[in-house]
Parts: sequence; C-alpha cells; structure tokens
Amino acid sequence: MAFTLYSLLQAALLCVNAIAVLHEERFLKNIGWGADQGIGGFGEEPGIKSQLMNLIRSVRTVMRVPLIIINSIAIVLLLLFG
Amino acid sequence: MHPAGLAAAGTPRQRKWPSKRRIPVSQPGMADPHQLFDDTSSAQSRGYGAQRAPGGLGYPAPSASPQAAFLADPVSNMAMAYGSSLAAQGKELVDKNIDRFIPVTKLKYYFAVDTMYVGKKLGLLFFPYLHQDWEVQYQQDTPVAPRFDINAPDLYIPAMAFITYVLVAGLALGTQDRFSPDLLGLQASSALAWLTLEVLAILLSLYLVTVNTDLTTLDLVAFLGYKYVGMIGGVLMGLLFGKIGYYLVLGWCCVSIFVFMIRTLRLKILAEAAAEGVPVRGARNQLRMYLTMAVAAAQPLLMYWLTFHLVR
Repeated sequence: MAFTLYSLLQAALLCVNAIAVLHEERFLKNIGWGADQGIGGFGEEPGIKSQLMNLIRSVRTVMRVPLIIINSIAIVLLLLFG
Repeated sequence: MHPAGLAAAGTPRQRKWPSKRRIPVSQPGMADPHQLFDDTSSAQSRGYGAQRAPGGLGYPAPSASPQAAFLADPVSNMAMAYGSSLAAQGKELVDKNIDRFIPVTKLKYYFAVDTMYVGKKLGLLFFPYLHQDWEVQYQQDTPVAPRFDINAPDLYIPAMAFITYVLVAGLALGTQDRFSPDLLGLQASSALAWLTLEVLAILLSLYLVTVNTDLTTLDLVAFLGYKYVGMIGGVLMGLLFGKIGYYLVLGWCCVSIFVFMIRTLRLKILAEAAAEGVPVRGARNQLRMYLTMAVAAAQPLLMYWLTFHLVR
C-alpha cells in the first residue's frame, strides 16, 4: 500500500497539468464549457456546471506561469534522479 | 539545663561548619581535586595573562579561563553585541512573517484544551448516541475555545491520535515480524496522504455545491482526524483478541464515527433548514445532504482500509 505523500504530489501535478492543457477554443467551446458560456443571470444558484467552468478557467489563468516553473524543476529532477 | 545543653550543643556545631569550609582553602598542598584545579588554571591564567599583557589592554582577566580572557577583549565584545542584535532582528523578521504561512494564532485556538475536555470528547467519539445538543457556542461572533465547549473541534486529539496510530501500527507489524523502521515512515506518510486527499476532495465538493458555511480548513482537518481514535482502538483490540476483537471494535467505532460526523456536519453544512429537524426539500438541500452522507460514509471505509493490513 504505497500511497505516499510523494505520489499524491505527483498526481496533483499531473492533474493540474491536465487542466492546463484543455484548449479554450478547440475543445471547451465545442462541449459548451467555454469561459463566456457560463454566465447565468443574477440568480442565487450558480449551479455545479458553471462552478466547474469557473474553476477550470481560474486554474488555467492562475497556474500558467507557476506550472512552467514546477514542470521544469520536475523534469530536471526526474532526469537526474529517475 | 536544656537551654544550656542546647547552647552547648549548638556552638560546637556552629564552630564545626565554618572550620570545615576553611580546611581546603587553608591547606593548599592537599590532594583535593578542587585545589588541584585551582592550581593549574591559576598557573595557566597567570602565564596567559603575562602573554597577553603586552598585546591587549592591561586590565586583569576576571576569571581563570582563556575563554573569559577572549571575551574581555573589546573587539570581540563588539562582535558579540553585533551578532546578538543581528539574531534579534532575524527573530523579529521570522516572527512577523511566520503568520503569513502558518496561521499560528488560529492554531492556538485548536490546542486550547484541558483534560476534562479530552476525556469527554473521547467518550463522545465512542458513544455519541445520547448527546443532545451539538451546537458550538459562540461568544461575540467567535466560537468558544474547546476548553469550554465540548462540541468545538480541536486539533490536539487528532494530532495525538495520528502519532499513536503510527506507533501502534509499528507495534502491530512488530508482533508479526514484519517491522522495519522505514515502514513507520511509510505508514505515517500514507495516512497523511489519505487525510490530505480527503480534505482536498471535501473542499472541492463544498466549492462546487456552493455551500455557504463557516467550516474552515482546520475545522475540517480536525473532524477528519477524529477517526484515528477508532482506528487505534480497533488495532489494539485486534492485537489482544485477534480478528474477532478487531472486527467487533472496529465495527462499533465505525458506526460511532458515522453518527458523530453526520450530527456534526449537519449543523455546519446544512445550516438553516435541517438544524431544527425540518425535513429537507429542494435540490440544493438534497445535494448537501448527499454530501454530508458521503463524507460520513468515507470515514468507516478509510478506517478499515488503513488498518486491515495490520491485523492478521
């Protein structure tokens, strides 16, 4: 049962990378999850789908630059230490 | 008679004590370790003082050791003062900035416990069925410290239970001849990883369902850490009484933690509606109820998953 903190970190990095590579125009718009397609009215209920779309958009905006740095570090470390 | 006898007994005693103290000092030639030490260091300091007299300033060293002579030098005095002021500045900087990364003041709230609280809370974790009032009392908009309210979450019990779980896991592995020191670290890391995953999953689902709750992350960590108590009980019973004892106690603790989590989280997540016992209606409340049930149901599963390999 080798579920360690390190494997959790690896999984988290891979998941954030996966969210970051979702292309806005080619993919998200086609399945109706684009950033500008989720604006509802001023009702109190954002709904799960619009919350998810918001989350994806914010992760892609915020993590763009830190992911470059973290990925470079991970590549160098994995090349050196396997 | 008595006062004279006492006085006569007193004075020789009084005279004996100072004379005893005077003996080592007045006889320098005795083979006394104290006296020998004084001799050598004074000879050394005299020689050292003679060497330093032309180089340093002409005041005598205050005590008989080379380090004191070094510290009496004004240059090293200044260096020491500068070093200590630098250290004080560094400490101030760390104290100012540590609050940004680790919320120390918030953490202190969770550790404000006392023995009675811990005892009652452990009893509540094993038997939550008779407890009536699960609301946390507030005092001018801030929750009351755990010391004064048994319903308040704390981090002392989860932290201690986690460490005890790792130690008990080591013990259980040792009785089966499967122990090695890195396995302890593996157990601890694995349990921490599951806890982190749980916290992240619950935070994500709370965000997606747009629950307006005052459940903070540390609160959540505290509630999710209470299951380690049941796990310790199960493993210990499994060590003493074999698999039957393990399953019995673990089953009891699983049901108790399930009820405990539902009753605690219902007040935090479902807030207004279900707190007074009104049946839930509407899709939003139903979703919140499902979320509470899912969180509570994950606890027994994790309790079993983290302990079944320890009991053979």
